[in-house]
Amino acid sequence: MSAGRLKVLMLGWEYPPVMAGGLGTACYGLCNALKAHADITLVLPKSSAAMVQDNLQILGVNQYGLDQAATVEQPPHRWEEIVEEVIEVPGNELHPYPISAVHKRVIEHLKFDPSDDQEVRALYETDEPYGANIMQKVAVYAEVVSKLALTKDFDIIHAHDWVTYMAGVRIKELTGKPLVVHVHSLETDRIGTQAKYMQANAVYEIERYGMTEANLCIPVSHFTKQCAADHYGINPDKCRPVYNAIDPEPTFRIDRAEGDKIVLFLGRITFQKGPEYMAETAYKVLQRYPKVVFFVAGVGDQLDQLKHRVEQLGIRDKFVFGGFLKKAQVKQVLAQADVYFMPSVSEPFGLSALEAAQFQIPCVLSTQAGVSEVMDFALKADYWDTDRFANYIYALLNYEGIRQELIEHTTENLEEMSWDRSARDVLAVYHEALTQG
Amino acid sequence: MLSKITPDYYLCTTISMAEQSPDRSNINPLCSMTNIVFYFQVHQPFRLRHYSFFNIGQSHIYEAANLNFELLNRIADRCYLPANEMLLKMIKDYGPDFKVAFSISGCALEQFEMYRPDVLDSFRRLLDTGQVELLAETYFHSLAALYSPMEFVRQVNKYKAKLKSLFGYEATTFRNTELIYDNAIATQISKLGFKQTVAEGVGSYLDAVSPTAEATHIFKAPGSNGPKLLLRQYRLSDDIAFRFTEPKWPGYPLDADKYASWLRALAIEQKAESINLFMDYETFGEHRPLSSGILDFLYFLPQAVAAYPDMKFATPSEVLSTAKPKKVYDVTKPTSWADDNRDISGWVLSHTQKDALKRVYALEEAVLAKGNEALIHQWGKLQTSDHFYYMSTKYWGDGVREVFSPYKSPFDAYINYMNVLADFEQTIKGV
Repeated sequence: MSAGRLKVLMLGWEYPPVMAGGLGTACYGLCNALKAHADITLVLPKSSAAMVQDNLQILGVNQYGLDQAATVEQPPHRWEEIVEEVIEVPGNELHPYPISAVHKRVIEHLKFDPSDDQEVRALYETDEPYGANIMQKVAVYAEVVSKLALTKDFDIIHAHDWVTYMAGVRIKELTGKPLVVHVHSLETDRIGTQAKYMQANAVYEIERYGMTEANLCIPVSHFTKQCAADHYGINPDKCRPVYNAIDPEPTFRIDRAEGDKIVLFLGRITFQKGPEYMAETAYKVLQRYPKVVFFVAGVGDQLDQLKHRVEQLGIRDKFVFGGFLKKAQVKQVLAQADVYFMPSVSEPFGLSALEAAQFQIPCVLSTQAGVSEVMDFALKADYWDTDRFANYIYALLNYEGIRQELIEHTTENLEEMSWDRSARDVLAVYHEALTQG
Repeated sequence: MLSKITPDYYLCTTISMAEQSPDRSNINPLCSMTNIVFYFQVHQPFRLRHYSFFNIGQSHIYEAANLNFELLNRIADRCYLPANEMLLKMIKDYGPDFKVAFSISGCALEQFEMYRPDVLDSFRRLLDTGQVELLAETYFHSLAALYSPMEFVRQVNKYKAKLKSLFGYEATTFRNTELIYDNAIATQISKLGFKQTVAEGVGSYLDAVSPTAEATHIFKAPGSNGPKLLLRQYRLSDDIAFRFTEPKWPGYPLDADKYASWLRALAIEQKAESINLFMDYETFGEHRPLSSGILDFLYFLPQAVAAYPDMKFATPSEVLSTAKPKKVYDVTKPTSWADDNRDISGWVLSHTQKDALKRVYALEEAVLAKGNEALIHQWGKLQTSDHFYYMSTKYWGDGVREVFSPYKSPFDAYINYMNVLADFEQTIKGV
């Protein structure tokens, strides 16, 4: 390790190949770019073996207590290899924090001895990053990782999302090192702003605690910074938004000369993603432009409701439900789509819009999606404004000028976005936290 | 339309900023007069209403009548009436020492007729003094010169007829929409019988060392029939149109004596024949509030100019009709008075603009074949250049540019226009 380089203790949760949402993608992209500028020790709940790659050391709590020297060193992961292995969550349900209040209460009464290394390892030896015992995992992670931290040399703590905030704050207390928390999403995005009024919503409380105790916060957009201020009372002066990015990737196009045009919705079918607004918009478009299908890729707790809704509206035959798609399948769909539609009610960033843009698909986004802040050449409306969404989608299906204009300029914009730029922004936040004193 | 604020916004004029007191001893060595030519553009488009794809085939009402009515009333009260009043007073007070020219688009004239005939009356009073010239233009303030020579002829003739019926006036000087000009347009102008026109003084077509200065000379277009030209002195024009209210500008606050001294400095330095100050009329009261004192500035300017016996106000016709220009203004690509580039990229650059323009002009034959005056008129209104300017993405996203648009984004402007055009196309096919 060269002198003068920052040493970062990075606390992550999702990471390829264990992923449920955008958190893993973002954490991977950021760490990969950041390692050129800093030495990183990334602690995850699970890693298949302790890996050292350049300046990125990855430790899994599932390996906790084992002799690190005895583990096999593996070649560095490459993105392409990783994404093929995405784990489908049992039960075909894919939402990242599937915990109900009932579960939480049960879990908190479970007995667990974190001093038993074997029991600790077993807790994380799973491909489901969340699950019903998520609170237990979070608590044990905080305990174990803070012990682990005392054996490591680092300058700053960087914690990703609420699952690691308890650990981050604990380590800050133990070591006096500054803590930066990265806010990829918030409970108020996931279940709505009622989160802040719910009695004993542990996730909300942990988020507020983590952001309050942190020296600086890194929300993934100004939208999320505003949410932190509005719903958590976090001082905007301590927030330094850093946008997510996308690395160049070869794309392709499958031309479909005949047949209906495709409007694509990609993501979890949850309240946060605005599926009901999608249905309403589709209904309006179809009144005047029947030669289009709405392809819904993803699963979630609102899927049945969405199906019911489109049935009710009499447009079920214009919807294709693709279920959960693997990366390669996603690309196939992207290569054929004509419009990418993201009517999110509350979306901290929305990385999938950048992927769609990379595939030269014009995007219709809600202004409540953080990604809309970086995409000047997209069509944007408030999530509830389905008249406007419908007008935009109709235009993209009918008027060539707007398609060309959006695609051409978005492609130029994408060239300016990179994880390296995000990493440099994060580095600046580190330096600020370190010099704050 | 106001040409937008440019990066040289804060720069002072090329002329020395030093305060100069009137120096009557320093008479122009040529003993010839330098003309000061004011020309004001008056234009209000028929802005479109919010027209969703749901309206296509259902509603043939395209215009935001209430918005157009409100804006016209506002600008009439803030600008047109008080500024006309001031000009009338100046002509009374100064006699032949003060003259101006106007170009009033057909769209503006129609809206005055509908909503504010008092503004028309006020212009009539100005015309009655004989010291005000009206220029001819395309009726719909359109880009027809670039897209359809035939439509260009029709619109210019329609406009001439309008001036005759409203004011009994015969225009002899032509100005094209937004001062859009090149050799090809000069040819079109000359074919219509105009011997004189106005254009932007664009650096790349002028003396590279001092284009600003060279624009003070009288030019002609190439060819034996090329019309004679006055070129806009953009720095001095923009001092009034843009910088007048700008406290960060070194010339602030601008008063008539200071400005006249700059005119005089340029006149002497360049042996200027004509310093041409062209701007939006809305500068006076709308873009620059009346509280800024801009009308007082205007009022005192002829006095300040009169302090120099070798400078006088004149109309474009006065200057051009007797001029025998030797300098040729050879413009190979279209220029205009807008933005820093002074080209046509504000109207014709993005895919959206090109697509919309292509589609509206593609209707020419079908529209004319209908022989329906109302439809032809509607088609003309859809050609107004503002519609395409609102679609400009040139500065979209940089967050700096002021855009004078009723739309939230250039994409909304395009989509709304295309929805309207789709309905109009259906009407043309169906009638």
